[in-house]
Amino acid sequence: MKQAMLATAAAAALLAGSAQAELVIEPGSDDRINWQSLEDFKAAHGDLAGQEFTVLGPWLGPDQELFTSVIAYFEEATGATVNYSGSDSFEQQIVIDSEAGSPPDVAIFPQPGLAADLARKGHLKPLGEETAAWLAENYAAGESWAALSSYAGADGQTQLFAFPYKADLKSLVWYVPENFEDAGYEVPETYEDLKALTEQIAADGETPWCIGLGSGGATGWPATDWVEDLVLRLHSPEDYDAWATNDLPFNDPKIVAAIEEFGWYAKNPDFAAGGPGAVSATDFRDSPKGLFDSPPACYMHRQASFIPSFFPDGVVMGEDADFFYFPAPADGSKGQPVMGSGTLFAVLSDNPGARAFIEFLKVPAAHEIWMTQTGFLTAYTGVNAEAYGDPTLAKMGEILTNATTFRFDGSDLMPGAIGAGAFWTGMVDFVGGKSAQEVADAIQQTWATLN
Amino acid sequence: MEGMAGQKSSLTWVVNISAFLLVLLWTIPTLGLFVSSFRDRDQIAASGWWQSFSAAEATGFVRTGTDADAVQVDGRYVIEGTVLEGEQDLVGWGIRAREPAAFAPGEMTEIEDGWQLTVNEDGSYRLVSDAPFEMRRGERIFTTTTVPPKFTTGNYQRVLTAEGLGRAFMNTLTVTIPATVIPILIAAFAAYALAWMEFPGRALLTAAVVGLLVVPLQVALIPLLRLHNELGIGKGYLGIWLAHTGFGLPLAIYLLRNYMVGLPREVIESARVDGATEFQIFRRIILPLSFPALASFAIFQFLWVWNDLLVATVFLGNTREQLVMTGVLRELMGSKGGEWEILATSAFISIAVPLIVFFAMQKYLVRGLLAGSVKGG
Repeated sequence: MKQAMLATAAAAALLAGSAQAELVIEPGSDDRINWQSLEDFKAAHGDLAGQEFTVLGPWLGPDQELFTSVIAYFEEATGATVNYSGSDSFEQQIVIDSEAGSPPDVAIFPQPGLAADLARKGHLKPLGEETAAWLAENYAAGESWAALSSYAGADGQTQLFAFPYKADLKSLVWYVPENFEDAGYEVPETYEDLKALTEQIAADGETPWCIGLGSGGATGWPATDWVEDLVLRLHSPEDYDAWATNDLPFNDPKIVAAIEEFGWYAKNPDFAAGGPGAVSATDFRDSPKGLFDSPPACYMHRQASFIPSFFPDGVVMGEDADFFYFPAPADGSKGQPVMGSGTLFAVLSDNPGARAFIEFLKVPAAHEIWMTQTGFLTAYTGVNAEAYGDPTLAKMGEILTNATTFRFDGSDLMPGAIGAGAFWTGMVDFVGGKSAQEVADAIQQTWATLN
Repeated sequence: MEGMAGQKSSLTWVVNISAFLLVLLWTIPTLGLFVSSFRDRDQIAASGWWQSFSAAEATGFVRTGTDADAVQVDGRYVIEGTVLEGEQDLVGWGIRAREPAAFAPGEMTEIEDGWQLTVNEDGSYRLVSDAPFEMRRGERIFTTTTVPPKFTTGNYQRVLTAEGLGRAFMNTLTVTIPATVIPILIAAFAAYALAWMEFPGRALLTAAVVGLLVVPLQVALIPLLRLHNELGIGKGYLGIWLAHTGFGLPLAIYLLRNYMVGLPREVIESARVDGATEFQIFRRIILPLSFPALASFAIFQFLWVWNDLLVATVFLGNTREQLVMTGVLRELMGSKGGEWEILATSAFISIAVPLIVFFAMQKYLVRGLLAGSVKGG
């Protein structure tokens, strides 16, 4: 028995050893990647041998594998050792760890609100003016990104505390091209066309939309994305910013109008598959499957760029399924607003390796290596757009870099009690039958108690 | 008297039947989870586990080949293939998503440009055209099929071969065994003192322990971890053993004290009269007599620590070397969760060791419940 246990332990140790530092692409082999930038980085930071630091992030499973494949190049270039660990309760863990005084050296925040909280408590280290200027210059809609990563520190001074790397696109509508062809529907170019198409599909006796809000304890969040996208299409980006900080109250007529606009889609039994009852009961992960039913349960599904991982097995992107940009109003007054989210890297210790890692994220190759694989979007304009591993990502990348306005997921910018609480439950109540005004009043009331 | 007895026996039957039904009701979720652990993701999304035993009607589509697959037969272009896989039976087919079963097997239909498509009952299809096909992707053939019940062990394979599971298993054992033994050791001493030793403030101390039962452990996470960091214990096995010991002690002391208080006073007092020291009484009399209570608390504590994820991630950490079983299983679920089949399978794999522990110690649990019920034994 003891021997068996030793053997298991030895095998486990072997596995752990082999999991590290294998370069997925031989340096110099893929000419879509800017290897020179990696060489330059190596020349500047190649002296970190023996350094070791920890990275804590929300990525698990396949995402974790992809991220560690990028880390391997950093380790190879600098000689430092990076210990990444992922957690699905990242939000709680980072708070516990930094409050208790054993923070990771680098943390990957999925939400700016949380990073702002920790910056205010003095747990994050400022990244400096240079990096802020670099972001503004090199990222599409760079000012938006820099603003997103700048928070008030413990001393009250606003500085750049985080570095955005890896973006997700939310303003997307997924559909099955052949179902559109068979029925003679066109991909809508303007927001008005989208509404007309919705009415047309319903008039044909079919159901236009699959909407699913279920997500366990986070039920309701897909609806907040809908409302945010609609706010950007009905009102100005300035209104959106004011809304996220509550300078524009939640029960302002503008926001109520956006919630009602969402109700136009979700509360109409002819427009949403299964009717309003099914909208809040359907899990967001199961919702897109309706597109692929035969006969189709729906024709369109609005969801972020990650959703193809929940399509049924065997669905080929670009062939069996495709997406279009959730269109903006025809008069052009709102430009081409894009809503998305991204992960933000912040440094929590004085480890020199951690600093160098942020510098590494400015290297085009650090983006391109992940781009050639899968599931990665970047707003960095200095990368080679051809590096995207598949046409779907390339098309998303194009939407992202063509954006006239980029806005971060508003519910992530709001305080946790609203953006990860009252807003979610409010949307479930709204779909369940309450009026937009009632719901907005209730959320505003909760917000007022926070201030 | 006979009538009375008859009444009693019919009542027993009612009790037995309702107990049986309750047990059945109670085990249904477990059964469902067990069945689900043998189904794949799409099956779980498509139908409930109770439907998995009968043949199910399924819809889907298959793409025909493209130009590259076409062969010329008698001057016409032909693409052939099959729409079925495995043991499916074709019920109907169609070429539009809106009418997935417009045609019966064996029928022929004409698609655009004079292409003729036939799908036979055995699933083979034949697409014929006079001119070369010009298509960038295959035509969709929608099928309605009946599928015999299908179960897979793929989920178990995936979980059992997951990277780092062996290591995590050892980690969990390393955490669990000391975290079960240490609190029992401490609690047994404390419980004896609170039950049988006279000293001022004993009642208050007992009340304080009971009071600690209601403190949720979540509120202690940050202060405790900070204390560990300041003492230099940091994150590691020592830290998590201490944490689990602390979190387990109130219940352990409370349970054991209540059990020990119930032991016959005469035995202890005669031992005292015979000149036994407190430690001898504890070791020779109390400890053997309390074995059932110790065993039942050991089961509780073992199960709780084995299944714990929260305390482990906080006090042990999250890296590959430190991850416990629950952590690895959670990793398998991916960043966005929702993989029911992995959840169900993981549940049955992680349940194995606690089940062994439970069945090995269960007789003590039963003996503990029966202790004292039969006089003169």
